[in-house]
Amino acid sequence: MAWLTLIGLALATLLVPTLVSRPLLANALLLTFAALKGRRIVLDFLDLRAAPALWRGVVSAWVVIVVLFAWLVSAVVALI
Amino acid sequence: MSATDCEQEGAGWGILEDLPGDPMIWVLIFSELAAFGLFLGAFVVARALQPALFAAGQATLDAHLAGINTIVLVTSGWAAARATAAARAGERGRARGWLFGAMALGCVFIAVKLTEYAGEIGLGNGLETSPFFTLYFLLTGFHLLHVGLGIVILAVVFRGARATGVETGTAFWHMVDLLWIVMFPIIYLVHP
Repeated sequence: MAWLTLIGLALATLLVPTLVSRPLLANALLLTFAALKGRRIVLDFLDLRAAPALWRGVVSAWVVIVVLFAWLVSAVVALI
Repeated sequence: MSATDCEQEGAGWGILEDLPGDPMIWVLIFSELAAFGLFLGAFVVARALQPALFAAGQATLDAHLAGINTIVLVTSGWAAARATAAARAGERGRARGWLFGAMALGCVFIAVKLTEYAGEIGLGNGLETSPFFTLYFLLTGFHLLHVGLGIVILAVVFRGARATGVETGTAFWHMVDLLWIVMFPIIYLVHP
């Protein structure tokens, strides 16, 4: 199930540049898909679902911080 | 120093002991996540400072090959997760089979990435072509080194295929997978 979800999100990621022409929306979708894939890997592959919330939170936060920073910077550049 | 003292010194990882595999691998994983996080942050800031240059560089990349590599690495991660489950169940033969699959797909990732590099170098792009390509080659090259190291680690735990060893090796492998999942859209697809 995790594998199918990841493959589905990977294929959706590849379709975004073709289907979405607005850069900010496209970036938001691309980075949201990356965060969702990252979350799946953290919980199901790295097997942190059963680990203490601290570690699950630390690794998940890394994913969210990196993609959010990338989106925010691209948004600032687009708005300037 | 008695054997008991040594054992007591060997323990003491505290809350890191609640993580799968050897706690030492998690020290490495957290260090790598911090380093790659800073590196990706630097890439994002550099792109914000020179959007046109980064857009031109990004346009020459082969996002389809990188997309294929995403599917290859995700599938490899899935095989590694199956290996962990088999090793925990004491099925060492099955664990070895899944580990072999994960390593083979890791080799496919390297082959595809080297093909991609050959195409980019063939177009005249190298480390010194522009700040985009300097960061691109350093980031993806550093990641590629980790893929190679991950295959070596999986090969080391392959022989015994014991639960702790397989958990340790695959934890590193999943980190390599996680890094690529985040790097791929930021480098190849996000509009500058």
